Amino acid sequence: MPPQANCALPPGYQLDRYRIERQLSVGGFSIVYLAVDDDGTAVALKEYLPNSLALRKEGEIEPQVPEDNLPAFRYGMKCFFEEGRALAKLMHPNVVRVLNFFRANGTVYMVMQFERGRTLHDYIQKHRGELRENLIRAVFARMLNGLREVHAHKLLHLDIKPSNIYLRNDGTPVLLDFGAARQTLMNDQPFLKPMYTPGFASPEQYEGRNGLGPWSDIYSVGASLHACIVGTAPPRADDRVKGDTLQPLTKTHASRYSNQLLGLVDWCLQLDALKRPQSVYALQKALMQKEAGDPMPASWFTDIGSRLRSFIGRA
Amino acid sequence: MRFTIYQESRVGQRKTNQDRIAYCYSRDALLMLVADGMGGHLYGEVAAQLAAQLIAKAFQREAKPALAEPALFLSRALTNAHHAILDYAFDKDLPESPRTTIVACVVQNGVAHWAHAGDSRLYLLRHGKILTHTRDHSRVQLMMDQGLLDAREAANHPGRNRIYSCLGGNQTPQIEFSRGVTLHNGDVIALCSDGVWGPLNDDAMLLGLVAGPVMQAVPQVLDRAEAAAGATADNLSLVAMCWQDESAPPGVDSISTRTMALDDHTTRIDLFPGSRSAGATSAASIDLTEEEIERAIAEINAAITKFDR
Repeated sequence: MPPQANCALPPGYQLDRYRIERQLSVGGFSIVYLAVDDDGTAVALKEYLPNSLALRKEGEIEPQVPEDNLPAFRYGMKCFFEEGRALAKLMHPNVVRVLNFFRANGTVYMVMQFERGRTLHDYIQKHRGELRENLIRAVFARMLNGLREVHAHKLLHLDIKPSNIYLRNDGTPVLLDFGAARQTLMNDQPFLKPMYTPGFASPEQYEGRNGLGPWSDIYSVGASLHACIVGTAPPRADDRVKGDTLQPLTKTHASRYSNQLLGLVDWCLQLDALKRPQSVYALQKALMQKEAGDPMPASWFTDIGSRLRSFIGRA
Repeated sequence: MRFTIYQESRVGQRKTNQDRIAYCYSRDALLMLVADGMGGHLYGEVAAQLAAQLIAKAFQREAKPALAEPALFLSRALTNAHHAILDYAFDKDLPESPRTTIVACVVQNGVAHWAHAGDSRLYLLRHGKILTHTRDHSRVQLMMDQGLLDAREAANHPGRNRIYSCLGGNQTPQIEFSRGVTLHNGDVIALCSDGVWGPLNDDAMLLGLVAGPVMQAVPQVLDRAEAAAGATADNLSLVAMCWQDESAPPGVDSISTRTMALDDHTTRIDLFPGSRSAGATSAASIDLTEEEIERAIAEINAAITKFDR
């Protein structure tokens, strides 16, 4: 039986120094709200609320955690803290900022900077199959600045997908929602399954924790690029391992995109981790140079979004 | 620093648990210790408790976040603990000073230093082999050194529990210090009381500890030692830490101290008020205490403010 869905906190509810405006998204592990702090600044508020372990009924505030679930609930909380710790030390224009962390209602909350814009996922849905090559290159090259920062802190994201890449109104991307924390739930905790999205997770993510590395995030970047070009994620990596039905994009989409970009996506989506780009930098460099030896546009390393805005404005 | 660590202590078949174990870490330094209060003496439990508490406190005081000199720290902390036990005996007018073994290890800058007095041991495992372990300050060890006994005879020798160095007691302890050993990725340091190594031989100890992550290996080794000892099982205590290279991908239960505030510490000293159920202790150690939740939140907020500037 699928676990019951949790009810969100009601709009107008005052939580610490934040007032809930509305629910932004709900996942199996948490609910994200749009809230306003006492200075009137909009923030994204993420509530730790694993569906399978805690239940908030209609009209209730404090979720109920059955006695038996308490150890797992607390363990999941520990993982939520890991996510907070990971994000707290990252300060990068292309990575979501954590502003505060607090306890209330028997659970914990992470306050993040609220960005105006939409997810790359929404953008792809709206402009399916019409994403211009320059836009794709510009968004991903900048998003990879953020990912490089993540990897520089010896962290992995492990849940990169278009719905976790946010495009601000000025077109600059922000990396959201660190799955690494949830990844740790996999071992010994039957109640809490990892929640990465099939199609975007690397083959090694299906095989336990061994062999995970920057190359695993790079696979997910490749899958996200695939989604931009084709409109959908590639087949699940665990299915591909059994019998690969993925056609190289260089064969299927040669008319619309440059061979170099398509080759890059195929490169990232290699099942063998060693055959993929081994560092984000290698991938980023390839994204910025259509041909070997081309100069790399310096502005793509920065967070100034003016060029990008003009792309999106036209799109 | 990055590592995984786990500790557990069991009462065995004794009435009380006179072992004390603790670990404590700051951003840059890690302390682990095992103290085995000597049951044949009055207040063995008190001696072990005093030693564990005082050494952990000294660590918290000085590791902010690094110790000035790890080897000197160990020397000072262990000597001070010895004197504190003597003072306690004097204050309480005890006829005899309580006594405890001690083994303590400090890791800082990727280098381990340890010190011990008595027969609680430290093992350093690398690549599935015992790289080194401490030599007991016991009569049987001396006799083995002189070729009078072999390992099997020593294990059954009637005087195997007689040790000639400890904290507390009338004699000045003979504390033995290691040289600094640089740790490699995957090295395991294990500290244990004789209730663990006694019933097992070195090989069984080793096989148990390299069998898997320390969270699983520690309870397994204890199970095995407890089963092997049967009805005569002494208190069993084991602290094991697996060292991880910071460049390797983090494991499930890795502790990374990178985000800790400079004057912050995480300490775990286990107390066992008459605990007999091993299951309860291990479940409790997975659980998150209120204090741990508060500390995690404070830690995250400290990191947020630190990186905000």
